[in-house]
Amino acid sequence: MVQRFSNITGRAWVFGNNINTDQIIQGQYLRLLDYSEMAKHTFEIPRPLFASRVKKNDIVVAGHNFGGGSSREEAPKVLLHSGVGCVVAESFARIFYRNSFNIGLPLLIVQNGSKLVKDGETVTVNLLEGTLTIKEKGDVIHGKPLPNRMLEILKAGGAVPWYKQRAGHKG
Amino acid sequence: MGQTIAEKILASHTEDGKASAGEIIEARVDLLMVHEVLGSRILPILDEMGFKKVWNPNRVLVVNDHWAPASDINSAEIHRRNRNFVKEQGITNFCDVDCGISHQVLPEMGLVVPGATIIGSDSHSTTYGAFNAFSTGLAATDSALILATGVCWFRVPESLRIEISGELGERVMSKDLILKIINQLGPDGANYQSMEFHGPTIDAMSVGERMTMCNMTVEAGAKCAPMPINQDVRFWMEDFAPKKKWKEVTNDSDAEYVDTLQFDLNEDPLEPTVAPPELPTNGKPVAEVEGVPIDQAFIGSCTNGRIGDLIIAAEILKGRKIHKGVRLIVTPASKATYMEALERGIIKILMESGGIVTNSTCGACVGGHLGVLGPGDVCISSTNRNFRGRMGHQDSRIYLASPATVAASALKGVITDPRSV
Ligand code: SF4
Repeated sequence: MVQRFSNITGRAWVFGNNINTDQIIQGQYLRLLDYSEMAKHTFEIPRPLFASRVKKNDIVVAGHNFGGGSSREEAPKVLLHSGVGCVVAESFARIFYRNSFNIGLPLLIVQNGSKLVKDGETVTVNLLEGTLTIKEKGDVIHGKPLPNRMLEILKAGGAVPWYKQRAGHKG
Repeated sequence: MGQTIAEKILASHTEDGKASAGEIIEARVDLLMVHEVLGSRILPILDEMGFKKVWNPNRVLVVNDHWAPASDINSAEIHRRNRNFVKEQGITNFCDVDCGISHQVLPEMGLVVPGATIIGSDSHSTTYGAFNAFSTGLAATDSALILATGVCWFRVPESLRIEISGELGERVMSKDLILKIINQLGPDGANYQSMEFHGPTIDAMSVGERMTMCNMTVEAGAKCAPMPINQDVRFWMEDFAPKKKWKEVTNDSDAEYVDTLQFDLNEDPLEPTVAPPELPTNGKPVAEVEGVPIDQAFIGSCTNGRIGDLIIAAEILKGRKIHKGVRLIVTPASKATYMEALERGIIKILMESGGIVTNSTCGACVGGHLGVLGPGDVCISSTNRNFRGRMGHQDSRIYLASPATVAASALKGVITDPRSV
């Protein structure tokens, strides 16, 4: 468990500012009922090769306001299904932020990540400390540690298991 | 310390009656609206949760609006699942494919009251702020948890105060105003915040004009946009929810705001505003984009598909023909809107001018059906999003504008100032 939060290592996919949910997954694919099918269209517009090349635990590194637009939970879902280990950005749109933790996809807020990290570089995210490390250069960028509520939901494995735990406690 | 409208509404829905900006609270939800996302995404989550019964079948609205009537087999399946769920759970508020767009039908059904908490599985749920409600969009997992419990956790938003005075001017609409305001804010200028509008301009607006404003606050990242009510909202409540009890929620005079923006439209007159691709916050005066050739003109959606929008389009198009080669598509926001337009003779005017009038649905707005854009198509649209690929092919382009500007542009075949026709 601790390992999962302190050492998420993969290749960086670097994006700019204002990547919205239509760019993550277009509206026309929302009718697909199977997430694996839908995930084949992840980032189809900004990075057409993403879906076929992404590997488990790769890290999306973006500028500010990642995930704006539609409330679609499919956006973080296709990232999780594609194997993305964490999304690091300067800021997140509010619904995307909430949705990601709800489904168990970690996010980290780090300033300047998309300027300091080069596309394809290997990076490590430590959610407990709130850091992003660029492996080759050894640079450590300090971000915002996660709020307790979000860490709680993530540790439970998402909002549904979190709800079940709480419902259990209440008896 | 005084409270903002958002703080007050949320506080009245918590167990201890408290809510201040920045805090995380649990609040009761007065109404949950879900659309196709119920059948496609929420039902599998409910299964995983071991869900049995909705917390209150009278406090849920289910709408089949995005691909209505079904545009393909998958949407048909989703609609079928929704119908079954409504039946099984005894849900009293259901709008099937003949009804219209959620954000329009919910107030028409008398389901919004001032001071309520309303959550929708759709980002434009901020629209109900026009009725002095705390309303926001969440997605499948949160909706599933609300269906089971009737409560939801929120981070109480900070509020941004926006004061507007002065007249809009002829053929200048509330759409132009909100495009200008969000242009000033940028796509995350109000992220996590409540946008609280005040001032005589807002006070003088019709319910529809107010809904357009609140609808688009989410394009600047806002969480909600509760407005103080006005006379038109009172009349609306008399007409559509005569039996409901409610009390207006006002902000305290010493409430704390992160910032205050002021607009005086008499001093600094508002121009018809157009947002070129690919961000809704790209708004600029129409003069800067006039003359751009268009292939399609779309009037519809939860932003600007209401009766007032169709009236102004008909006023511009009456007795005239749209430009050869341009497709004008009009999708009234609800069946009630459509019927009223029929009675007023508006549908006839729009069709005689060369327009295509479709049934009420999200349709073209989300690139679903009834007006999907092909590669290279340029569309001027009364909707709220001009993201790349939003209405169809990724190489199509969308310019957002008021229904007046869309109608004038359909007439000329190029982006046109509605005051010039
Ligand atoms: S009309 Fe468009 S913006 Fe409004 S709810 Fe439907 S798809 Fe969303």
